[in-house]
Amino acid sequence: MRRVLLALWLVVLSGCAGSAPEGGPVTLVFKYARILGPADPLPALLREFEAAHPNVRVKGESLPWTSDEQHQFYVINLEGRSPGFDVLMLDLIWVPEFARAGWLLDLTPRLGPGELRPYFPSAVEAATYDGRVFALPWIMNVGLLYYRADLLRRYGLEPPETFDALVRQVRRIREGERDPALDGYLWQAKQYEGLVVNVLESFWANGTRLLAADGTVFPEPERAAEALGFLRGLIASGVSPAWTTAADEELSRRAFGDGHAIFLRNWPYAMDLFQARDSRVRGRVGIAPLPRLARGPRGAGSTGGAHLGVSRRSRHPDLAVGLVRFLTSERAQKALARGAALSPTREALYDDPELVRSRPDLPALHALMRAGRPRPVTPYYLLLSATVQPEFSAVLVGVKPPGRAIGYARLRLTHFVGALR
Amino acid sequence: MTGRERADRRQALRLLAPTLLALGALTVYPGFWVVWLSLQHRVPIFHMARFAGLDNYVFLASDPRFWNAARTTVVFTALSVALELALGVTVALALHRQRLGRRLGLSLLLLAWAMPSVVTAKLYEWLYHPAAGLVSVLLGGHALNWLGDPYLALPAVILADVWRTMPFVAILCYARLVTIPAEVYEAAQVDGAGRLATLGRITLPLLGRIVMLALLLRMLDALRAFDIMFVLTGGGPAGTTETLTVYAYRSLFQMLQLGFGSAISVVVFALVMGVAWAYLRLLGARAVVA
Repeated sequence: MRRVLLALWLVVLSGCAGSAPEGGPVTLVFKYARILGPADPLPALLREFEAAHPNVRVKGESLPWTSDEQHQFYVINLEGRSPGFDVLMLDLIWVPEFARAGWLLDLTPRLGPGELRPYFPSAVEAATYDGRVFALPWIMNVGLLYYRADLLRRYGLEPPETFDALVRQVRRIREGERDPALDGYLWQAKQYEGLVVNVLESFWANGTRLLAADGTVFPEPERAAEALGFLRGLIASGVSPAWTTAADEELSRRAFGDGHAIFLRNWPYAMDLFQARDSRVRGRVGIAPLPRLARGPRGAGSTGGAHLGVSRRSRHPDLAVGLVRFLTSERAQKALARGAALSPTREALYDDPELVRSRPDLPALHALMRAGRPRPVTPYYLLLSATVQPEFSAVLVGVKPPGRAIGYARLRLTHFVGALR
Repeated sequence: MTGRERADRRQALRLLAPTLLALGALTVYPGFWVVWLSLQHRVPIFHMARFAGLDNYVFLASDPRFWNAARTTVVFTALSVALELALGVTVALALHRQRLGRRLGLSLLLLAWAMPSVVTAKLYEWLYHPAAGLVSVLLGGHALNWLGDPYLALPAVILADVWRTMPFVAILCYARLVTIPAEVYEAAQVDGAGRLATLGRITLPLLGRIVMLALLLRMLDALRAFDIMFVLTGGGPAGTTETLTVYAYRSLFQMLQLGFGSAISVVVFALVMGVAWAYLRLLGARAVVA
C-alpha cells in the first residue's frame, strides 16, 4: 500500500514540479500573506530584486487568509518535505518551532558581524533558537494603548500609567459625558491567540510571566491569578463592555474608531485607520504604553510581526538568503512603511526624516516598540497557547476562578511538555 | 468455470480495480494509519515517535476538555438536527401548499444551502455583532453578547447551522411531497378526512422514510461539525462551543500532537460509525435504501 501511495505521490509531483532545467533561469518562490492592502509595494520590490539578479525570477505566492491556516499550510508542506517554496514569511511565534523541526536554514554562519544590530533586540530574540538565528525580522508590531486625547484633555487628565488610574479615568469621564454608548476600555478576549497576548501583557504588567527561563509554567501563580482576576473585574464592573469576551482586534478597533470608547488596546495598524480622512476620531487619538498593575515595574506591550526565513530544502539557499536580505534592507522596509503603513524592524527608520513626514506617529512608536516584549520564545509556543486559551477565556467570562484555571492549565502543560523532554 | 466465465471475472476485477485502489489508498489506508498514530506519542517537530499503547486514550478518559467537547458535540448534534428536521418539514409543507412564488422560495432555500459554511459563519458574525448586529437591532437594541457569553454561544452557533442546513431537509422533503400522487389526497377527501387527519395519516407517514434518511445524513454531518464554530467562535468562550473535531484540529495542527489528536479523531470516527450502525440496526437497511 505504501508503494501505491508513493507511486501516486510521484505522479502528482511530476505533474506540479515545473522546475527550471539546469542552467536555465532560476525561480525563487516566496510565500507571503497578503496583508499589505491595495497599495502593495511588494511586487515592485520583487521586480527590483529580479533586475539586480538577471536569470532569477521571484514568484510571490500568497498564503491562506488566517494565521491558523497559514501555520497548517506550512506544517503540512514542510513536514511532507515538499520543496515548493524558498523564502517564507513567518509569524514570529512560529520561528523556534520551525527551527526545532529542522525546517529553516540556519542563517547564523551567513550573517556578517553586526548585521543584526540595526534590528529591535526583541525581534532578534524571537528569531533566535538555541543561540542560532533562523530568520530576519521584517515587520514589527507591538501592543499599545490608544486613548481619546480630546476626552482626556477635557477632564485635565494625562494618559494613565497604571491600570488603577485607567479605571478611575474611565469612571470620571463617563460620569461627565453621560453618554450610555461610551465604553471605557476595549481589548481582546475572544478565545484565540489575541486573548493570550492580552493576558500575557497583564502578567508582565503585574511583574510575572507565563513561562520562566527554566521552563516552569506559571512561575508565580498568585501574581498570574491576580492579573487574570483584574481583567475579569474590568468586564464584571463594566469598565470594559460584556462583549469584550467576543472581541478580536477588528471588532474592538471599529467600536473605538466609531467614537464609542475612551481607551483601546491594539496594534499600530489601527492608527492609520483612525487618521483616515473619513474617520470619526481623526486627530483625536493618542498612543501611550500599556499601563502597569499593582506589582509590576512597568507595563509592556507584546511584540508581534513577521519574520522572513529560508526553507532548508531550498535548492538555491544563497539566492534565497539574498532575497531575505533585500526585503529586510532599509530600502525595502522604507518602501513598505510608506506604501503599506507597516512598521519597520530597523530602529534607524523611526527617525528617518522623509519617512516621519508621511508617518508622523513613528517616533512615538519607536519607544513603545523598544519596550515591547516577545511572547515566550519556545518551540512549543502553540501548544502553550492552545492549552491556556480556553482556561483564560473561562476566567474572563466568569465561569472559573483564576486559581483553578491556572492549576488546570499547569497540569495539562506538564503532561504534554513533560512528554517532550 | 468455462473460459468465458473466467475471462468475465478477470474483466470485472479489472473494472473494479481503480475503485478499490482509490478507496484503499484514500480511505482504508489513512484510516488504519490514524488508528496506528493514535497508539503513539508522536510529535514530529520534536522528532518524537514512540509507541504509547493506550496512553492517549487513558489520558482522554480523564481529560475534562475532551469530555466537554464530547458533550458539546452531542448537544450540538441533538438540537441542531431536531430543529432542522422540524423546520425543514414545516417549510417543505408550506412550500408545497404555496402557489405563488414557489420557485423563488426554492431558489432562496438553495442559496442558503449552497453557501460555503465559512461564508455563513462570517455572515452570522455580523448578524451577532454586539452593537450593529441585525439580531440585536431586531431585539429592540437590546444588545446580547451572543458569541461571548458561555450560555448563549452554543445556541447562537446552532441557530447559524440550522439556518444553513434546514434547506437541505426542506428540499429533500419537498421532492418527496411532489411525488405523492394526487389520487391519494382525493381518496382521503372522499372519505371525509379533514386537513389535520390528511396531514397526520397521509402526508407525514409518506414523508417518513425521507425524513429518516435526512436524519441519518444530518446526524453524521453534525457529529463532525467543524467550520461553523471554528470561524464563529474558535471554540470559545471557555471552550463552550468546542466540538470533538475542533479539539482534534487544535491538537493535530496547532499543538502538533499527532498521536493524541489522532486518538480524538478515532473517537469521532467510532461515534459516527456507532450512530450509523445503530440507525441501520434499529430501522433496518430498508428504511434507507427504499
